[in-house]
Amino acid sequence: MKQLLSWMALLALLVALPASAATVTVEVPPDNDGLNLNVVWDEATDPLGWAVLRADGASGEDWTVLKMLPGNARKLSDKVTTNVWEHPPQDTYRYQVVAMRSLVLVDEMEEADRTAAVLAAGTASAIATGSPSAAWIRTGIGAKQYGPLVMLLIILAVGVMMWKFANDVRAGKPVFIRRIPGIDAIEEGIGRATEMGQPILYVPGIDELQDIQTIASMLILGQVAEKVAEYQADIIVSCCIPMVREVADEVVKAGFYQAGFPDAYNPRNTRFISSEQFAFCAGTNGIIYREKPATNIYLGRFFAESLILAETGFVNKSIQIAGTAEATQLPFFIAACDYTLIGEELFAVGAYMSRDPRLVSSLKASDWVKLFVVISLLLGTVLTTLGFPIVNNLFAISGG
Amino acid sequence: MRSTIPLVLTFLVGIFMVGEYFIPHWRYHQWTAVLLEWGLILAAAAFLLGLFNLVQVNLPKVMNKEEDWGYKLVMLVSLVGTLVVGFMGNTDRLSDGQAYKWLFDFVFVPLNATMFALLAFYIASAAFRAFRARNLEATVLLVAAIIVMIARVPMGEDLPLIGEKLPQFMNWIMDVPNIAARRAIFIGAALGAVATGLRVILGIERSHLGAD
Repeated sequence: MKQLLSWMALLALLVALPASAATVTVEVPPDNDGLNLNVVWDEATDPLGWAVLRADGASGEDWTVLKMLPGNARKLSDKVTTNVWEHPPQDTYRYQVVAMRSLVLVDEMEEADRTAAVLAAGTASAIATGSPSAAWIRTGIGAKQYGPLVMLLIILAVGVMMWKFANDVRAGKPVFIRRIPGIDAIEEGIGRATEMGQPILYVPGIDELQDIQTIASMLILGQVAEKVAEYQADIIVSCCIPMVREVADEVVKAGFYQAGFPDAYNPRNTRFISSEQFAFCAGTNGIIYREKPATNIYLGRFFAESLILAETGFVNKSIQIAGTAEATQLPFFIAACDYTLIGEELFAVGAYMSRDPRLVSSLKASDWVKLFVVISLLLGTVLTTLGFPIVNNLFAISGG
Repeated sequence: MRSTIPLVLTFLVGIFMVGEYFIPHWRYHQWTAVLLEWGLILAAAAFLLGLFNLVQVNLPKVMNKEEDWGYKLVMLVSLVGTLVVGFMGNTDRLSDGQAYKWLFDFVFVPLNATMFALLAFYIASAAFRAFRARNLEATVLLVAAIIVMIARVPMGEDLPLIGEKLPQFMNWIMDVPNIAARRAIFIGAALGAVATGLRVILGIERSHLGAD
């Protein structure tokens, strides 16, 4: 009954006969993926409703009703296929827009009957054809929103600058890196744990391995593990994601090997706790209470568990170093931990600890892009205030 | 060789996946979707390894009756019990009246809620320490926090003289200095992420590749 009423609402009887859509055009959206077409039509008066029909191929006559739209609609974005493996897109599609003039109850009908009923109850437009041609590069030029192009240029610029600065550093040119107390504290924390004869707890966040913060955390873990091995201490890695545990295990093993103490590596200290957020949190808290690590290092992506972990570590009187780019969790870490790496500092740890010229070069490249962003922000603010949104368009990204 | 092949694979797959954003063509996305699906399959397989790890770490402690072995036993019994009950119910296991649904509703959900509820107490203790006015920065934090907290509760609007202005001032704190600082963190972190991604893809960072 509800379905009947909904169709009745859409296709109620028209009092006056409407004209068919005056002009129907099929447009290819900018930066198209080859699966989308926009059907646009024009008509001065609103009919009761519109039905958009599509036939596959340049001369296809097998019409299907794509969508029923209200009378004030003038555009339909059509995704020509949702399964490219079984139904790859055709070269050409034909469209008709039907201005509905009488009630049609099509809900229970077969596709062919539905099309016939819609055509009988409305006035069809001329047939318009379109080819969903695909773009090979997303520039944003078509939509006058150049964000993707600027983003590509920034990535390329970072790559080029990394190469140039790495050569500079190798040639002996000094590079200044500001002191980051949180990173200095990592080595102090390892030393403290060694003196106290207690382990170090490392938590690489709770997100999947493909998250960039987890990746950064894994890179840092390698260097932390190497230092731990040099100090002959123990490290417990508590993981929320099984895949992260597997990688963390390899990384810790590599750290111990590189430090020259492969025998000291204990695979049972890299633990999968649970993939459930709070079960993981409870398990890690258990490690803090029972094994009493002297130093807790939380680096990666954290959510609501951040404060529960950090407060438990505080009660346990551990030295705590945290780092995340998750802005909502930073206040909790700052309140409960001794040192906190804020945002970009998390991504600088590897370069800071190793001082490898190639890694340091990436910090310098990031700083130059940061300067570019700051200048763009200032310039954009001034120009937009004056009514010239040039910089806004430069960084804008369209939804398509 | 053991590190060269992963380096080459990282480079090729990394560049290919970065291309997903810049190349809109459906044929390209057809193959990136396949790669992402492989990633999902690997992640699912890793759950099995996670299960082995749980048993490997906890079972010896129970067998040797090491300290707190009782907790490990509870964990292992829960693990096996949930697994068995999960297999028993087939596709109906999430329907009302099924043992798996009962375990979820009456064991898992309350335990989860308990852990989450603890957060309130941890926030109170952390806030107490954070809001001590030890220096200028901590004092600014304290004042801002008091304004936001008072303005967010109904009694804030009823305060004489400042009651009307308080919500406006709170909104200004949240929308101007707060958002400005957050955006700065986001921009810095995004650039750091780009640099880290490039370091991994170009093979400059190698510590994740494991031991030779």
